[in-house]
Amino acid sequence: MPYREKIVWLSLFAIAVAFIPYFTYVAITPTASEGLPNVRQLILYAIAAGVQMSILLGGRMWLAARSPEDAKIPADERDQAISRNAIRVSYFVLMAGTILVGVIMPFTHSGWQIVNAALFMIVLAEVVNYSIAAISYRRQA
Amino acid sequence: MSGKSIHNRIRELRFLNGEMTQADLGNQIGVTRQTIAAIEKGKYAPTLEAAFKIADVFGVGLDEVFTWA
Repeated sequence: MPYREKIVWLSLFAIAVAFIPYFTYVAITPTASEGLPNVRQLILYAIAAGVQMSILLGGRMWLAARSPEDAKIPADERDQAISRNAIRVSYFVLMAGTILVGVIMPFTHSGWQIVNAALFMIVLAEVVNYSIAAISYRRQA
Repeated sequence: MSGKSIHNRIRELRFLNGEMTQADLGNQIGVTRQTIAAIEKGKYAPTLEAAFKIADVFGVGLDEVFTWA
C-alpha cells in the first residue's frame, strides 16, 4: 500500500476513534437546557480533538519511520488529482452542512445543539473526503 | 461519446528498455510506482507533461506511447 494511501486510512482511523465516542455521547446526553459556555462539552471536545491529533501525529511519525524514502516523496500528479476529486465532493457536504446548521437550525435549535451539529458536519465532510480518497487509491484511479 | 479511449505501450516499452521497472520509470519522471501502474492499466490518464516525459525516457514520440483508439 502506498505511503499516501496509508495516511488517508490513518486519518479515517483517527476520526473514528476520536469522534464516534464523542458524537455517541452527545447524542445520548441531553444538552438542550445547558447554556453557553458549557465546560463539560468543551472538555469533551478538547479530549476528542486531542485524541485525533495524537493519533495523526504518532501515526505519521510511525509510518515515516517505517518507510522514510516514501515519506520524503512529494505528492505526485495522481495523488493531487485524487485529493482534488475528494475535496470537490466533500465541499458540497460541507456547504449542505453550513446551510443546515447556519441557516435552518437557528430557527429550530439553540446553543450546543447547533455547535455539535456544526462539528458533526465538519467531521462528516472530512470522512467523505478521506473515504473518496481511499476508494480512489483502491481503484487505482 | 466517441467510444474511444487512451491506450498505451508502456509495459512493452519498459520491456524493450532492459525490463525497466515501474519504480525506475516513475523516478525518472517524478511520479510514484503506483502512478505508473495505474497509467499502464489505463486507470489513470496522465497529464500531458507526464506523457511527454514518459515518451522522452523511452526516446520515442508521444504517439508511439499513447494512442487514441
